[in-house]
Amino acid sequence: MPGLRGLWDRYRSASPVTIALLALVLGLVVGAVIIVATTPAILNAWRGAFHSWGAPGHALKVTFDNVGAAYRSIFTGSIVDPPQFWHSVTTGKGWTASLTPLSETLTYAIPLVIASIAVGITFQTGLFNIGANGQAILGGVAGVAVATLVHLPMALHLPLTLLAGIAGGVVGGAIPGLLKAYTGAHEVIVTLMFNYVASYFMLFCLLSTPLQLPDQTNAISRTMPGGTQLAPLFGTASGLRVNYGIVVALAVTLFAIWLLDRSSIGFEFRVTGANPHAARASGINARRTLVTSFLISGGLAGLAGVTWVAGTTHYIDQNFLQGSAGIGFTAITVSLLGRNRPIGIVWGSLLFAALEVGGSNMQANTGIPYDLATVIQSAIVIFVATPVLVKEIFRLRALRAESVKVATAGWGS
Amino acid sequence: MTALASTAARVRQPLGRTQAIGWFIVVVGLFTVFGMGVGTGTAPSSTLTFTPVDVSHGAPWHLGNLTLPTEWTLVLLGAVIVALGAEVLVRRLAKGAMVRVGLMAIVFLVAVLVWASRQPGPSQVPFINVTAILVGSAAITMILIYGSLSGILCERAGVVNIAIEGQFLGGYLVGEMIDSATNNWLLATVGGLVIGALMGWLLAFLAIRYLSDQIIVGVVIVTMFTGLASYFNSWVLTPYPNLNNGNIASNLAIPGLMKIPIVGPTFFDETGFFYLMLVLVGLVSFALFRTRWGLRVRAVGEHPQAAASVGIGVERTRYVNVILGGAVAGVGGVAFAAIQGQFTPSITSGFGYIALAAMIFGRWRPSGAVAACTLFGVSAYLAYNLQSYQVPISTEILLMFPYLITIAVSAGLVGRVRPPAADGIPYSRE
Repeated sequence: MPGLRGLWDRYRSASPVTIALLALVLGLVVGAVIIVATTPAILNAWRGAFHSWGAPGHALKVTFDNVGAAYRSIFTGSIVDPPQFWHSVTTGKGWTASLTPLSETLTYAIPLVIASIAVGITFQTGLFNIGANGQAILGGVAGVAVATLVHLPMALHLPLTLLAGIAGGVVGGAIPGLLKAYTGAHEVIVTLMFNYVASYFMLFCLLSTPLQLPDQTNAISRTMPGGTQLAPLFGTASGLRVNYGIVVALAVTLFAIWLLDRSSIGFEFRVTGANPHAARASGINARRTLVTSFLISGGLAGLAGVTWVAGTTHYIDQNFLQGSAGIGFTAITVSLLGRNRPIGIVWGSLLFAALEVGGSNMQANTGIPYDLATVIQSAIVIFVATPVLVKEIFRLRALRAESVKVATAGWGS
Repeated sequence: MTALASTAARVRQPLGRTQAIGWFIVVVGLFTVFGMGVGTGTAPSSTLTFTPVDVSHGAPWHLGNLTLPTEWTLVLLGAVIVALGAEVLVRRLAKGAMVRVGLMAIVFLVAVLVWASRQPGPSQVPFINVTAILVGSAAITMILIYGSLSGILCERAGVVNIAIEGQFLGGYLVGEMIDSATNNWLLATVGGLVIGALMGWLLAFLAIRYLSDQIIVGVVIVTMFTGLASYFNSWVLTPYPNLNNGNIASNLAIPGLMKIPIVGPTFFDETGFFYLMLVLVGLVSFALFRTRWGLRVRAVGEHPQAAASVGIGVERTRYVNVILGGAVAGVGGVAFAAIQGQFTPSITSGFGYIALAAMIFGRWRPSGAVAACTLFGVSAYLAYNLQSYQVPISTEILLMFPYLITIAVSAGLVGRVRPPAADGIPYSRE
């Protein structure tokens, strides 16, 4: 038994998990600072802090009340609301309300796991796919197109819809992959630009006849027929949105574990990512590895897009994966948080999904905008990406964890 | 790190890249001649006007309208494009090929404009306002140049600043808020400068002190500030709309020079930010290539170990340059606000990234960056401008154009440009 001393030693030796947890703490601190600096109620309390003896205490109380309320609603909105849960346990009623937070977190985590694994695979190959969002958009558009325009029995239609999503994403991944392999265009520039192209392409499709909801002038698609939707896991009557997409996410995770740890392609990916010179010297076809990595990554990102539509909204409009809803961008941070490993990504996705979902609850309860969740996520990732900084702040002893080493190549390559 | 690319570059393609580019340009030219030029109907004509839209500082000397026969103009423009392609093919231009593609894009867009505005024709705007197009292009170009200069300052010292987009956003937000509160663009500029410098410092701190991957940290910084800007937008700007009143900066016309038709409104009836940009281009150019400071910066960007061995503080130089670069991009964000007005969360729409691509296209030189930004700026504005004519291309496709041309250009470039040797590589003394 390690005992307290053992636990303390383990904490001080800075394992990746320790670093991630401490980064979470620091991220929440950053969020709190932002809340304090921008919330009028808190600022007003501090403005009067030196007018009377009791005022500083009052100001502190106002600060803690506001920040506390914000973080409490992130927790209750994404995991569990204890009083509500206790009410359900004792009376057996209101289970929908009790389980909705967890269900929402899982619902959001489904596409996030898939998209983050997509990004992680390119990171493992030493490539940076910032275009996962654009690829997910293409996947969503292709999926909705097949779902609404093709008529098939359900047993075929749902798989075909998901396949269409993959195909859409593969197209999106092929462009940066092939361009990099055959012209040397830097994938960072190409994928960044491609996100915008994909968004406009989606708008174009949503405003064109076959895809647009009839008799509409807005950019909104037809609704996917029931047979192509990923049904709620506990039935429509349960009121919980968590859906069979969870099976897809699980399958993708297993696939990624197999691909990266068991398959020869994955081995080539990792060797290329760790040391491209060694990879080339040992006879790995650099160009093929690069294209394959981008195709798989794009395909998974597309799958993430279609899984999100098929599992939740069942239609897309002009806000699909735009702005704060861009899971392809969150996926970059999740992948870094999970150190580009499938299992790490699953945990990272659950955490970040909880922050997103909780952020919406925070906005509903306290008015503080849910965009704060994005800021906290980015801060967490900055700390995870610079473990030495975390080590210094918390005075950890050794850094057993190696920093996230993802060598993205410079422009000339 | 260059292994992937060098294999790609060493393998010879069956059809050489230069030939492919040349033939592509020729095909576009032929399309201009035969697709649009010949057979546009009953001898239509296109009219050019030269009166600027904004004449609040007095109009330039009057130029009459110029009416051109549409068909022959298109044939002529098509011939120019074919000539560009032929030049690439005959002279086997390897280095200049992508410049020709850029010129082709501009000439082609002009041709589409001439074609779309023909009368009798479907267009409800019966003329092309040449001066207005140039004024609009100059505005976009100015923003891009600020971003490119920021990139040059950082990358010449060996740090990739992909956070320009975020610094634009930060400068825009802060500049807009300060100007709304004080009605003073000078204060706004100072604010944008400070926020940009702070963001530059953050990147420098993580990239130089903790040797993080610069591209990744840069992207995360952009994500963070995008979130922060949205947060601010709904938490501060929505309840206090008078902090986002969307005033645009008034022009400072240079007396006399602004009277010159076309040139005057484009270059001499501009906001202070435009003149500041011109000064900065000269300053950065001079400082980087004519001063000891510039020599040191470039040494740090090319070979930090060698620079350190002769006593140059590598970390210090990089810190200074990344902070300077951030400040320039921050001011660029304020300039963006000064011409665009109200802040919305995704207002910078990737211009920071396009500026970065322009910097690469311009080979990490201010003069090259100006040329590349002009190319991107003019073609972007022409594509946006086409919306007002009844062209049979949907708006969404036109809006893709700046991004597509950026992809196309960066695909044609690589292997032809050489970044600073230590660009993007963390430096540690051990």
